[in-house]
Amino acid sequence: MRKQYFSKSLWVCVVLLVALLLAPPILPRFYTYILAVIFVTALLAMSLNMVVGHGGMFQFHHCVFYGVGAYTFALTVTKAGWPMWLCFVVSPLAAALAGFVIGWFCVRLTSLYFGMLQISLGSLLWAIAFRWYSLTKGDDGIHSIPVPGFAATTSSAYYFILFSFILCVVVMYLIYKSPFGVTLQATRDNPARCSAVGINVRRHQLMAIVIATFFAGVAGVLFVVLEKSVFPDLLFWVLSLEIFIMCLLGGWFTFAGPILGAAITVALRTFAGIYTEYWTLILGVLLILLIFFLPEGAMGFFLQKFEKGRDKETAPPRGQHAES
Amino acid sequence: METAHAFTVAAMGSQFFVGLSRAMILFVVTAGLSFVLGVLRVPNIAHGSLYMIGAFCAFSLSKLFGGGSTGFWLGLILSPLIVALVSLIAERALFCHLYKREHLMLLLFTFALSLILGDLVKLVWGAEYRSIMAPKVLQGFVSLFGSSFPRYNLFLLIIGPLVAFGLWFFTNKTKLGKIARAAAVDREMVGAVGINVSWVFAFAFVFGCFFAGLGGALVAPTGSIALGMDHHLIIEAFLIVTIGGLGNMWGAMVGSLIFGLTQAFGVLFWPQFAIVFPYTAVVIVLLIWPRGILKSVW
Amino acid sequence: MLKVENLYKSFDKFLAVNGAELTVEKGQLVAVIGPNGAGKTTLFNLITGMLKPDRGRVVFNEEDISKLPPHDICRKGIARSFQIANVFPRLTVFKNVQVAVLSQQRKSSNLFRPAHRMAVEETNRILSSVGLLEKADHLAGSLSHGDHRILEIAIALGNEPQMLILDEPTAGMSPDETSSTMGLIKRLAETHGLTILFCEHDMDVVFNTAQSIMVMHYGKTIIQGKPEEVKSNMEVQEAYLGGADA
Repeated sequence: MRKQYFSKSLWVCVVLLVALLLAPPILPRFYTYILAVIFVTALLAMSLNMVVGHGGMFQFHHCVFYGVGAYTFALTVTKAGWPMWLCFVVSPLAAALAGFVIGWFCVRLTSLYFGMLQISLGSLLWAIAFRWYSLTKGDDGIHSIPVPGFAATTSSAYYFILFSFILCVVVMYLIYKSPFGVTLQATRDNPARCSAVGINVRRHQLMAIVIATFFAGVAGVLFVVLEKSVFPDLLFWVLSLEIFIMCLLGGWFTFAGPILGAAITVALRTFAGIYTEYWTLILGVLLILLIFFLPEGAMGFFLQKFEKGRDKETAPPRGQHAES
Repeated sequence: METAHAFTVAAMGSQFFVGLSRAMILFVVTAGLSFVLGVLRVPNIAHGSLYMIGAFCAFSLSKLFGGGSTGFWLGLILSPLIVALVSLIAERALFCHLYKREHLMLLLFTFALSLILGDLVKLVWGAEYRSIMAPKVLQGFVSLFGSSFPRYNLFLLIIGPLVAFGLWFFTNKTKLGKIARAAAVDREMVGAVGINVSWVFAFAFVFGCFFAGLGGALVAPTGSIALGMDHHLIIEAFLIVTIGGLGNMWGAMVGSLIFGLTQAFGVLFWPQFAIVFPYTAVVIVLLIWPRGILKSVW
Repeated sequence: MLKVENLYKSFDKFLAVNGAELTVEKGQLVAVIGPNGAGKTTLFNLITGMLKPDRGRVVFNEEDISKLPPHDICRKGIARSFQIANVFPRLTVFKNVQVAVLSQQRKSSNLFRPAHRMAVEETNRILSSVGLLEKADHLAGSLSHGDHRILEIAIALGNEPQMLILDEPTAGMSPDETSSTMGLIKRLAETHGLTILFCEHDMDVVFNTAQSIMVMHYGKTIIQGKPEEVKSNMEVQEAYLGGADA
């Protein structure tokens, strides 16, 4: 039974992959660009979900690490003049380092306090990026960042981003299915129980944060490759909550839910933007509808409907709510 | 860096009062946020949007009455009431149905509300900067420490403690206030003694949002009223209630003072990075007292 | 094997544990009894490291474990089950136990091998020894109450403990379930060579199973001894008149 389900979804992935590979020559450049944006955003959302959905932590300011990755790449390329490959390697590591430092302080606390401390630490970084004009050009941002030749055009950037995205998602999937991933979900469900079976919960959570922020940094680098600029907005808390919404929209107890959430959000934002300038209003209404009618997210909803009784793991019991 | 003039007593004294008056506005807003947080245990992200609506309402009311003093005072009284009404509608129509859900859902609802209200402001008032003038009696400057200090800020220095006293009186000496405090600590008990907990929540939410509107009306004459003031304020307000102690009104006062004063002195010592000072102060406080300086209500 | 010496713990002004003493020999089945609020669960939380004592010591295998965090105490060989069913509701029964086994094998941080192929034999062995093998694929959150308690014990077994601490293992069970669960516990103790410390309200269970009983009242140890000694002790009768509580 399980094997059947697995190969069905594998076929879906293969078909999707072929379609995506054929996209740039067929679609107008704008749509290729939007798809690339979706991949970058989806990667960011997936990295957040590792901490929030699988780890149960209140990572309220995840995009700080996205911004750190992006700015590190931008600055090492433009100001430090390092070789391109080094910039690619260093930037996610910088994000992971920021994740380690901020995470180290945050895991000492639980739930709301974790989130609040992270928002304050993250806002500090935002304030610095916003004000350190000589380094970051503040609100103006840094533009016309040179990117390697193999990613210079929209199409080639698209392929590079698609390739990186798939690679990262595969790695994240392996981690999700590994003992680390199972234990992480256990710490989400019952940290006290985990301690009692010998798991150092704080250390485990910190590891998860470092891994997740590494991937957020990768997403940041991909953003720069696509847009060739950076802005302090990447570090602003509103973006962090928007990514949160994407995870919720997609379904945060599933693995691939955030990808769906990111895709829907970016698509809606792009096309709503054509007709109205009140996209934020629409997003707010969408979020309210989600909260009331689809708390398991879109992916969770589909999985419950089509896989009823089969893969029981991805359908958490309804009506369970946590005591704070 | 122009630090040469920074260290004169006059400059420091004057900045001290600037910081103090900014802290008073922050206090008015965060006291309301803290109140909601204490009773409902949810950080109300829409608080910033309601503050912004308060400011814009003050603008419109002021224009309605010719832009003079009457307009200001009427705005000061009516804006918070309008904001309270808006929050009541949101609460009764949608929010109250979520009380049994996880806190995270409540938080996300307030975020959705802030998105919607933010765009509604854009819809109603447009995207330009607005401003209003302080009433005649509060215009002009007084001389303090050899520097001129806006009269309006003195007004704020009076309002702050008044609000503090009013809130203290309300939560400690009135029946409704005591019920709200009890609900913050143990909502089941309050329900068990026959009080309708849902109405207590509704009241607490509206009451807290009233102060957001009041803060907005108060801040209106001091600078430009613009879109985006909600986003910047809500982060500051969150940090303040966190360092003060969740749900603790005196904590909101302490936090506001720390925030306002560090920002004012930041302007003096390192103008370019003035906003980094309060954030750094918050980080330092949280590293020493992770749960806030004063005890949280729960 | 385990010695609790003069333990004190207060919360704000409330003295929950007020001079508790306990001795558990290797291989014994020891019960802690006392009226509600006597401090039994607090005592267990102190022993397993979830709380730190204000005064006194907890010594396990001649080592002072009073200040260790729970995960370290688990590594020393003590496993526990909780009073309120404390499993991983969103994971399957199999994964619930697997988490403990992986932790014991120190493989919890392993990043790149697929978990569903690891520790399968050991996990299945534990599941079959408690009778939950057929339900291995069910979500833990969907189990019946009695099965929850058994799963609790199974998770604890995953750590190959020397000593098992069970907090009211038969709470909320019918008489049939109670006797089969106690039978299971006794069997497991024999086959795995476990020392068992448990607390209970059901006096029949206690007096039929335990070899040594410790009585607590208001956080204090009144007496510890063989069942007959405890039964006839005057103080115990005063404090705990009639026996069966809850």
